[in-house]
Amino acid sequence: MTGYVGTRAARVDSVEKVTGKAVYAVDLQMAGMLHGAVLRSPHPHARIVSIDTTAAEAAPGVRAVVTGRDFPYLFGSAIKDQPFLAIDRVRYVGEPVVAVAADTEAMAQEALDLIRVDYTPLPAVVDMRLALADNAPLVHPDLHEYWKGPHEIIPHTNVNTIYRHERGDIEAGFAAADLIVEGEYSAHALSHAALEVHAAIAEYDSSSGGYTLWVSTDRPFMLRSELAAGLGLDSSRVRLKVAQVGGSFGGKGVPVAEAVAVALARHTRGRPVRVELSREEDLTASQVRPPAIMKLKTGVTRDGYFTARTAEVLWDSGAYTAYTVGIAIRGSQTIMGPYRIPNLRILSRQVYTNKSITGSYRGYGTTQVTWACESQMDDIATQLGIDPVAIRLQNAYEEGDPYLNGQIMHGVGVVETIEKARDAIGWGSVERQPAPHLRRGKGIATMIKPTMTPSSSNCVINVEQDGRVSVVAAAPEIGAGQDTVLAQMAADAIGVALASVSIPATDTALTPYNGPVASSRTTYHMGNAIVAAGAEIRDNILVLAGEVLGVEPDDLDMHDSVIHDNDGLALITLEDLLAKYSGEGYSMTVGSRFSTADSPLLKADAGVEWISSIFWMFCTQATEIEVDIETGVIRVLKVAAATDVGKAINPMTCEQQIEGGVIMGLSNGLFEDFSIRDGRIENGSFADYKVATIQDLPEITPIIVESVHDEAPFGAKGIGEPAAAATPPAIGNALYDAVGIRIADLPITPEKVLRALAEKNLAESRS
Amino acid sequence: MKRLRSFAYHEPTTLREAIEALAAAGDQAQVLAGGTDLIVDMKIERIRPSAVVNLKRIPGLDGIESIAGGTRIGALTKVTDVEGSSLVQDRHPALAQAASILASPPVRALATIGGNVGRASPASDLGPALIVHDAVATIEGLDGAREDLVENLYVGPGTTTLASSDIMTSFLLPDPPPGFGSAHVKLGKRGGGTDIALAGVSVSVVIGARGEIVDCRIALASLAPTPIRAVAAEDMLRGELPQEDALVAVAESACREAKPIGDMRASASYRTTLARVLTMRALRAAVQSAGVEVAF
Amino acid sequence: MIEVDLTVNGERYKLDVEPRLTLLEVLRENLLLSGTKEACGVGECGTCVVLADGEPVTSCLMLVGDADGVAIETVEGLAADGELNEVQQAFVDTGAFQCGFCTPAMVLTATAMLRNGAKPDVEEVKKTLGGILCRCGAYPKILEAVAQVIGESR
Repeated sequence: MTGYVGTRAARVDSVEKVTGKAVYAVDLQMAGMLHGAVLRSPHPHARIVSIDTTAAEAAPGVRAVVTGRDFPYLFGSAIKDQPFLAIDRVRYVGEPVVAVAADTEAMAQEALDLIRVDYTPLPAVVDMRLALADNAPLVHPDLHEYWKGPHEIIPHTNVNTIYRHERGDIEAGFAAADLIVEGEYSAHALSHAALEVHAAIAEYDSSSGGYTLWVSTDRPFMLRSELAAGLGLDSSRVRLKVAQVGGSFGGKGVPVAEAVAVALARHTRGRPVRVELSREEDLTASQVRPPAIMKLKTGVTRDGYFTARTAEVLWDSGAYTAYTVGIAIRGSQTIMGPYRIPNLRILSRQVYTNKSITGSYRGYGTTQVTWACESQMDDIATQLGIDPVAIRLQNAYEEGDPYLNGQIMHGVGVVETIEKARDAIGWGSVERQPAPHLRRGKGIATMIKPTMTPSSSNCVINVEQDGRVSVVAAAPEIGAGQDTVLAQMAADAIGVALASVSIPATDTALTPYNGPVASSRTTYHMGNAIVAAGAEIRDNILVLAGEVLGVEPDDLDMHDSVIHDNDGLALITLEDLLAKYSGEGYSMTVGSRFSTADSPLLKADAGVEWISSIFWMFCTQATEIEVDIETGVIRVLKVAAATDVGKAINPMTCEQQIEGGVIMGLSNGLFEDFSIRDGRIENGSFADYKVATIQDLPEITPIIVESVHDEAPFGAKGIGEPAAAATPPAIGNALYDAVGIRIADLPITPEKVLRALAEKNLAESRS
Repeated sequence: MKRLRSFAYHEPTTLREAIEALAAAGDQAQVLAGGTDLIVDMKIERIRPSAVVNLKRIPGLDGIESIAGGTRIGALTKVTDVEGSSLVQDRHPALAQAASILASPPVRALATIGGNVGRASPASDLGPALIVHDAVATIEGLDGAREDLVENLYVGPGTTTLASSDIMTSFLLPDPPPGFGSAHVKLGKRGGGTDIALAGVSVSVVIGARGEIVDCRIALASLAPTPIRAVAAEDMLRGELPQEDALVAVAESACREAKPIGDMRASASYRTTLARVLTMRALRAAVQSAGVEVAF
Repeated sequence: MIEVDLTVNGERYKLDVEPRLTLLEVLRENLLLSGTKEACGVGECGTCVVLADGEPVTSCLMLVGDADGVAIETVEGLAADGELNEVQQAFVDTGAFQCGFCTPAMVLTATAMLRNGAKPDVEEVKKTLGGILCRCGAYPKILEAVAQVIGESR
């Protein structure tokens, strides 16, 4: 019998979303609710000399005015380096300094005018290269005194992360090379720009000393831990309730509005406080993608096989580390691409600067490093005279290849993604000059992404007496369709109708632990938890049915909430079974925990097992672009994007992720760019920070590749992140194909294109 | 999200009342037309007006009609209506084109032609288009009505010759002579073409009986502190046949007349390049709109 | 304070409000119609679109005084009787949304565009919807949804 897995089932959040009934954090109203506003630092780096809040406290409607001195806590999951509100020092333009709670948002904003803060500006460091210099101003002079996790730092410098990895014999590898190609590439800061801004409501309970928050987050339990650890509370003293999330893309994990809301709520005598950022605040003072400068040196043989690669990556965390320590480590590993490279060395460093906080961003470092890896891949191909598709195919990982820690890779569909993207774009032919001022070209790029490993997911499945099923899973719907795919898997695992399955909103007091809705891990991890719990609950139902019907449970099966015998003859519906034959007030509950910690798939070289990933994702994109050689404007005409997802639980939601990733990648690569002058973002508005519209939409061909993974639920891996990473380098490589220029620094702007074209023409006219 | 600060709010029902309210409120008063710039400027606190005088309850300030000598467009006419007017499309194509790429459709449905001119943005879309159509604005003030070419209204970024109690009430675009054509082109950041102009160019031409250009206007946006005319380029074009090499020289001249700044959106040198390229494209399109194909 | 007489989804409301409020703020906070969203407040994202006398406008840039006497429609008015309209149904069928934050504006704008059996071509559809950002990138499926409605009305 066919089930729901593998079908284009309509999303379970459909009706509430098309009718406007879906409730997001920004929509919540509560009795007695106050509204917050934040006075922010105008300086990239300064000492706070004094703060005078007297006039603001006396302003109409103001109920609380809070400074960092009033709420002197630090948070941070890798390094506890960030205050809820600035304490004595500000480290970036936009850092929260004073928070106000008032009866209305307008009153709170007006009270900000009445606050006087005296600063002594300090030397600022806003360039990540300069942050490495011996005499660089220190963003955190007390770095060595902060609590931190197990990773390495360099005390008394701005280096908050240093990571090295080596495999093989790098010198011998370069000695064996026929050609060595070197290049430096850079990736810029980007806003997540989720349409729902950061917003939170916090309420303080003085009797317990705990907080309840209504938030928009993709990782409730990590956010909870971070807040609780920061406040010195047991985790369960902080309770998070999650509404619909209006987009996250990795950006809704660290305390942003939450930090301010909590600080205010502590001072409002139990009244809840709502804090919603403006778009300007969201763009300039929530988080951005960490910029990176990447140096690659690669040795290859004459026929295009790798002998060695060294990678030196410098990451800019901005003023605080948030979740970027992991990016500097994990992200740097994937700069090797999905390729067999026998000898390799990685040096990754991350520095503080006096700029906006950075954080995890769809792809967790892969969007930056894929740009470098795949741009250089085409340089190598060009210099060797090998076709860009061919050189990728001959070096791409295959099932059973060792990863860079020796882990034997499983579920490797990268070759198929390259082949399918190549075929869909019509590789090898292009109409070069459709008009006198236009040139066309095609390009290809691929990528590899691990998932957070090890990690765990718990779920509870409850079957009510009317046959309805709730799957209690802390996997907030951030838009990626997880509610739908989890419901589809639950329906098949149990044997119930999809329409009977619901996934209640996450409440950390009621919902068991789950890792983040991040790292494309939800389908695999929560899916496995659901499959296990679903199978158990199905067995329980069949045992009950067996007793009632006087049949061996082994002779029964259930599908679409109907119990039938092995010949498919329907015997009784689940609803009837539970209503008629179970006791009054009956509900059937099963919980399960899934963790990847003990999987044999993770076996690797001693000491570096932690690098292993429970599954791997691959995405290859081929593009066709058109360049206006008079204006430098690039129009992306077509993108074929092939992603290895394992098994597509729902091809429609997979397509949504692929298409959405391509559009985000296109927008990231061509339009989005912060203009930062002296540490200040000048274009912190959607008027000038430009996100792609439907008018920028190319013809996208989403292609789903299904490699086999033995431990995946129904074979499904993950999909959320990969598609955004390959788009910019595929466009960059198509640009080279079209007009023979290479832009090494993202984004690819018309100005850079024109300048590079002019330089190329000059060079050609000289030779 | 950002909230608007308090202000005294007026909804006058006659022009006289509006002018007096503005005069009484002084320099800190603002006229509210479509609001698509005013409300933004107030939200980002570029301005903090003490009073807002909303003109929309005053009858007769909007509408497009053909009158003796030309097309009259009320200052409160929505940009959407300018864009969609067949009268404007037929007689004043550069204006219709500029209106069709001014911000996004739901903004155009609020924004007004008078507001766009009064805002005096260097990047104005409608300004250059009105200039190449020799549009004349009617302005009502304490001392009565006056008229002036739109081109003469601009003083600097965000400033016009209007006194704080003056209200623009309508524009008159003269009937196009035989052989007339016009076009507007701009380049923004994204593909849709509706972003704020990195550079924009409007051109109108009148092609004579022998195929030569007897008159023309070239106006530039985002290429100087205000929308400006490229007068030397126009002089160069008059009397020429609309052929590629002549147009190239004219575009070069327009490019020399541009005085762009570099800012977060584009460098001055890139804008200078765009001045040349977009002038060339606008010239070709204007000539085509006059019914003549440019010979290459 | 000013007195305004609003008509929203066919219902009349007489309110005494501060004149500095935008239509968007009044809809969301006074009338508790939170289907209309705010994502930028300055007319650049389009998520606050409502229909004013049938035409999509950015309600964040409209002072409440200007809504007096105008027939306002919000997403809550589209399926008031519980039945999805054909645009909403097409969005469900094709999966033309992800996080859903832009969806009310997209659905309303598409509904206005397709009223009276209009059959815009793809370029017109893109132009009409070009003012509404969707960060999730549901654009291909939104075009598919619109095409489905146009196809059905043939």
